[in-house]
Amino acid sequence: MELLELTRDALHRLVVLDPGLWQVIGVSLRVSLIALAIVTPIAVAGGFILAMVRFPGRRLLILLVQSLLAFPTVVVGLLLYLLLSRRGPLGAMQWLFTQEAMIAGQVIIAFPVVCAFTLAAVQAADPRLHETARMLGASPLRAAFTLLGEVRFALVAAVLSGFGRVISEVGCALMVGGNIAGLTRNIPTAIALETSRGAFTEGIALGIVLMVIALVVNAVLVLAQGAGQGASNPRAARALWYRG
Amino acid sequence: MVLDQCSIELAAGEACVLSGDNGSGKTTLLRVLCGLTRPDDGQVVFDGMSVGDAAVARQVRSALQYVPAHPYLFSTTVRANLDYGLRARGVEPVERRQRTEMAIEWARLQAVVDAPPQQLSAGEKQRVAIARAWVLAPRVVLFDEPTSHLDRASREQVIALIAELCAADTAVLIAAHDRELIEMAGARRLHLASGRVRSVV
Repeated sequence: MELLELTRDALHRLVVLDPGLWQVIGVSLRVSLIALAIVTPIAVAGGFILAMVRFPGRRLLILLVQSLLAFPTVVVGLLLYLLLSRRGPLGAMQWLFTQEAMIAGQVIIAFPVVCAFTLAAVQAADPRLHETARMLGASPLRAAFTLLGEVRFALVAAVLSGFGRVISEVGCALMVGGNIAGLTRNIPTAIALETSRGAFTEGIALGIVLMVIALVVNAVLVLAQGAGQGASNPRAARALWYRG
Repeated sequence: MVLDQCSIELAAGEACVLSGDNGSGKTTLLRVLCGLTRPDDGQVVFDGMSVGDAAVARQVRSALQYVPAHPYLFSTTVRANLDYGLRARGVEPVERRQRTEMAIEWARLQAVVDAPPQQLSAGEKQRVAIARAWVLAPRVVLFDEPTSHLDRASREQVIALIAELCAADTAVLIAAHDRELIEMAGARRLHLASGRVRSVV
């Protein structure tokens, strides 16, 4: 019953737009969306190049990207901390315990997700697609954009998967953000703090927000996959892994 | 060796049908001719230009088009498919619209002009692919088994379009098993066997 009461209180605080809660939500969304905006073009380009271009070391690079999918986020945070600390090589940037550091961490964490999923999507695309574009006179760049357009639903899934990975990660955010109220305290770090203080209402409220975000992301993913299966390259929606 | 010193001459408006057993290399020959497959040795020369040369690739592709057995249509409308090559070549919007409308009329695609590819029949897809090549005004069109998977009515429509291409001075080279195509009026016959092309009288 206590849990029900806490949940009711949590919902109430969300509905009445509790400033403390919504500030934390705002930091989370701002940091993750900026990280996503930065990482998406780089990772999509990287995934496309890995799929379409043959060069020495390509297989090793693909193996590295796929290995980084399971890389612990707290280790990313640790490495970034060492780089950004006062004695570190990037200490002069003074990014430690700022949103910029959190964004950098989330870019690093999201990159292998978006890149690997893009690689799989492009490899699953119909091999006639690129040839057809080139035969009709498209330049290599236009043909590349045409291909990416054809697998757009799978790309949406790739980007949303990257978003899902970073919006809820806590390890890196704690290490390089420092969980400073009003500045670097995001949803996962706030949940960790509030719960450790026994402030379960805040923890539950933020947990509900994270669950809603996860539900919305997954709903869009399902819609994107469904739309992708209706398109002329159905394999792009289903194949989410590099097949070698 | 799949192909060995193949050489084919086509006059403007000439239809040439290339027959051969399955696995004889017909598709490989067509793909090598249009630069989609690189030969392991030697070079492919089209009108004095090397097909594999990146500097002239666009020039060659503007003169030469390839319609495979199962053409890929972009997941957009028929109209957008026809417009794609014109847009890629930087044709002005007004001219693009005019030429696209002409292609729609030429291939009798009015009923499906705003349909996406998954709503088209096999025959309609083939007509869209042919129209998509025609709209670029190529000098040569290579066809790979254009009627093998079509019903009788669709086959006749496709053969009629190919005949209209020839009537407009476009040379066509068709890899085919289809007797109707092989016996197409006025078509020269070639046969590919053991990697070599020879004329069939």
